[in-house]
Amino acid sequence: MVNEKNFKYQEKRGVYIHIPFCRSICSYCDFCKMFYDTKWAHKYLKTLEKEIDNYYMQDEIRSIYIGGGTPSILNLEEMEYLLKLTKKFHKMKNIEFTYECNLEDINIDMLKLLKFYNVTRLSIGIESFNKHLQDLMGRHHDFKEALEKIKLCRSLGFNNINIDLMYGFYNETMKDLKKDLQLFLKLKPEHISTYSLIINGHTLLKVNKIPALDDDSDAKMYDYICKYLRKKHFNHYEVSNFAKKGMESRHNLSYWDNLEYYGFGVSASGYIDKVRYSNTKNFFTYLKNIEKRDSTCLSRQDIMDYEIILGFRKTMGINKEEFFKKYQIPLEEAYPIKPLLKNKELKQKKEYIFISRDKLYVMNEILQKMV
Amino acid sequence: MNIKQENIRNFSIIAHIDHGKSTLADRILEITGAVDKRCMKEQMLDSMDLERERGITIKLNAVSLNYQYNNETYQLNLIDTPGHVDFSYEVSRSLCACEGAVLIVDATQGIEAQTLANMYLALNADLKIIPVINKIDLPNANISLVKEELKKVLGFSEEEILLCSGKSGEGVKELIERIIEVVPPPKNNDDKKLRALVFDSYFDSYKGVVGLIKVIDGKLKLKDEIKFMASSKEFIVTELGVHTPNEKKLDCLHSGEVGYICASIKDIENIEVGDTITLKNNPANEAILGYKKMKPMVYSGIFSVEPNKYEALKEALEKLKLNDAALSFEVESSEALGFGFRVGFLGLLHMDIITTRIEREFNIAVIATNPSVIYEVTLTNGEVISIDNPNKMPDSVKIKMIREPYIYTNIIVPSEYIGSIMELCQNKRGIYKSLEYIDDKRVNIHYELPLAEIVYDFFDKLKSYSKGYASFDYEVIGYKESKLVKMTILLNGESVDALSLIVHKDYAYQRACLITKKLKEVIPRQLFQVPIQAQIGSKVIARENISALRKNVLAKCYGGDITRKRKLLEKQKEGKKKMKQIGNIEVPKEAFLAILSDNE
Repeated sequence: MVNEKNFKYQEKRGVYIHIPFCRSICSYCDFCKMFYDTKWAHKYLKTLEKEIDNYYMQDEIRSIYIGGGTPSILNLEEMEYLLKLTKKFHKMKNIEFTYECNLEDINIDMLKLLKFYNVTRLSIGIESFNKHLQDLMGRHHDFKEALEKIKLCRSLGFNNINIDLMYGFYNETMKDLKKDLQLFLKLKPEHISTYSLIINGHTLLKVNKIPALDDDSDAKMYDYICKYLRKKHFNHYEVSNFAKKGMESRHNLSYWDNLEYYGFGVSASGYIDKVRYSNTKNFFTYLKNIEKRDSTCLSRQDIMDYEIILGFRKTMGINKEEFFKKYQIPLEEAYPIKPLLKNKELKQKKEYIFISRDKLYVMNEILQKMV
Repeated sequence: MNIKQENIRNFSIIAHIDHGKSTLADRILEITGAVDKRCMKEQMLDSMDLERERGITIKLNAVSLNYQYNNETYQLNLIDTPGHVDFSYEVSRSLCACEGAVLIVDATQGIEAQTLANMYLALNADLKIIPVINKIDLPNANISLVKEELKKVLGFSEEEILLCSGKSGEGVKELIERIIEVVPPPKNNDDKKLRALVFDSYFDSYKGVVGLIKVIDGKLKLKDEIKFMASSKEFIVTELGVHTPNEKKLDCLHSGEVGYICASIKDIENIEVGDTITLKNNPANEAILGYKKMKPMVYSGIFSVEPNKYEALKEALEKLKLNDAALSFEVESSEALGFGFRVGFLGLLHMDIITTRIEREFNIAVIATNPSVIYEVTLTNGEVISIDNPNKMPDSVKIKMIREPYIYTNIIVPSEYIGSIMELCQNKRGIYKSLEYIDDKRVNIHYELPLAEIVYDFFDKLKSYSKGYASFDYEVIGYKESKLVKMTILLNGESVDALSLIVHKDYAYQRACLITKKLKEVIPRQLFQVPIQAQIGSKVIARENISALRKNVLAKCYGGDITRKRKLLEKQKEGKKKMKQIGNIEVPKEAFLAILSDNE
């Protein structure tokens, strides 16, 4: 057996920064969020700076992702403060730097600011253009506005844009979904992330007792999305992520590649030196004490399990050779790959082992046989 | 303290379930000062958690109580009895150790099916019976009507009938004194050769096997060398005593006394309920007439969910058998479930209690398969065999005739439900026998029914058909020929032996539809479509499909909450562990009992 210390990460880390503020609370959101207030925003950014100074180890960074909440809600002064913080990171050449935006926040001044601080990628939460679904979600914007705002982004040189698509409302029809997909493609995004609606606890949908869509209809919608986007030359590279060639999100891939990353901000999670941690989810606790976090130190077996759980989300799957390089044990020895290949729950193409597309949506069943 | 032989009273309390037997026993314990009021808890004699939880008595118990009456000290030995029909054999065992019985009837319910059954058992044992109307404090008590029933149906006289309330304690003192007055003392046979009846036993991890005994003849002393007459095993008495209800050690048990005995008996097989204890050096000439050992009526396969728990399961069954003479088991192997045991039970409640105890007390998750009665099969070559497992049923071409056990019912029900009860019995292949009026509102309906039909869902159906008013009791009357066939269940085209069952030909289609539908409900969707088929011979008579699972994927698997997602996956996996892998299908244990809950 290989000893625990014998394997280490060569890969550079990513950075995630959480901005919890929102103008209004979306009915489906169970992320950590609070109403925007400039007094608290100021204190929050100060604390964030303290946390980065405290934990960042001066290593080279492969990607930055600023998410929320609604990071675009910050005023220009606050936004600049936040972006300046990112200067502390030693960035590798061609770093991917994503900033999440709400459509209504996008304007020429903030875009200029983002560009000035080398943001390379925008992620815009559109979700749906269907009036009825927007009412349910508590978000409102029309297609014309989206088209104009994205045009504005492109005019300032942002040529890597993700939009989020949500589906799976209990009363959503296939027709509704098709219409949304058509409109989404008219925006010509480089990347689309899809979300099947989950009615989590602590959300307005749950409180209002909105029913969930049945799994069969949900799966039917998923199948349709996959087929439609593939036909439109998107690379279906992860369970629910689609990108034009070469535009796959490097930051998100680092999660699925089981690479390490810093997580800064309230409720943010990180993975550093074989420890997975989560910051406190309480905003005021965070302000008082940035060291309030839950940590789990991972064993070699844990790390390998995560490699499986996350790696098989990629349609390409797991590279056997890289797995061996990383863990010094053949993939087939560490997990019951062979029987799963035999009953066709797993497939193999050259050195890659993967879950075939038609089984991605039931992959938990397959993962349970491995970890 | 030495109690005179003529001051000993051995008695039982018998009643229909829920007529307040355990509460009345509690009150007797309190009044005789056996249990301090502060230590009193409900159902004092029911020591098993399961008994208290379900409000039923499963195991019998014996306590010795002292009571002052007319300047004399009396010893009252109260032997508690279970009320459910499954356990009527336990009742007959406790009655053998008594000279009297208190027959309780609920003032709001009147005579019920088991009131009658227990009454007959007591009469058989030549006991003095004291009829008591209980729960007289309830606002809906109908004392005069119940009195009339006791007089008309059971033939008691007005003066014999006592009124009391176990809850308030009213009339309990009078009852105790009535017991002293009318129940005869045990015969003084101290000078005869020792004969003591073993009427129950349990295992104590410090003392070994403890036997509950009644000394019929002679005296049993500490350090006596004893011999079990049936098994010929010999031991030396290491401890003697009575339960008051806590254990109180004694040096000697006299004839007529009820108590416990320990003799460093380690092997559970060495002490058999019904056996007679005598002295090794001065043995009695003949054993006490051992009462009828109750035979299991229902057989089911019991398997551990985890395959490596076979040995643990065996140990658990052995331990449970210690306190449960009615339990029998032998090794069974199933293609689908691996190694397990074919276990004989008195009835479904007994089966439910045993499986629950295995899971709770021994921490072994178990699968119980469809219960089966014992069929008597005559082969074409004239040979007659007993079949307790559908899978052992010979090929139909080799069978000349199949006979199944029938029962004779007492169903006591308000007369407005006669129609619906008869409909139910008719649906269960019943043969109408007779109907008697107990009073102008209630009747006792007699049917002959196949025992197999009772095993399934008869109790539940009876409740719903009578809005809960029916009470039910039965006796087995023997075997009758039936048109029976074996039905095989196939999952994904493969027959699953643990799911097969014996059904009546005329009801096969109906049952097949219900079972396939039920299996579809309880078996979770798999990665592929799973057809469920019910088959007789080579002919498929019913089919359902479990469509393939369409969605089970971790959502939003970004950086944020990966550890939480992993826990979710582990939780799902935990759930799977409780299922049995059959071929490539995960089957939950409920599937194996699908037949019990086939709601039409």
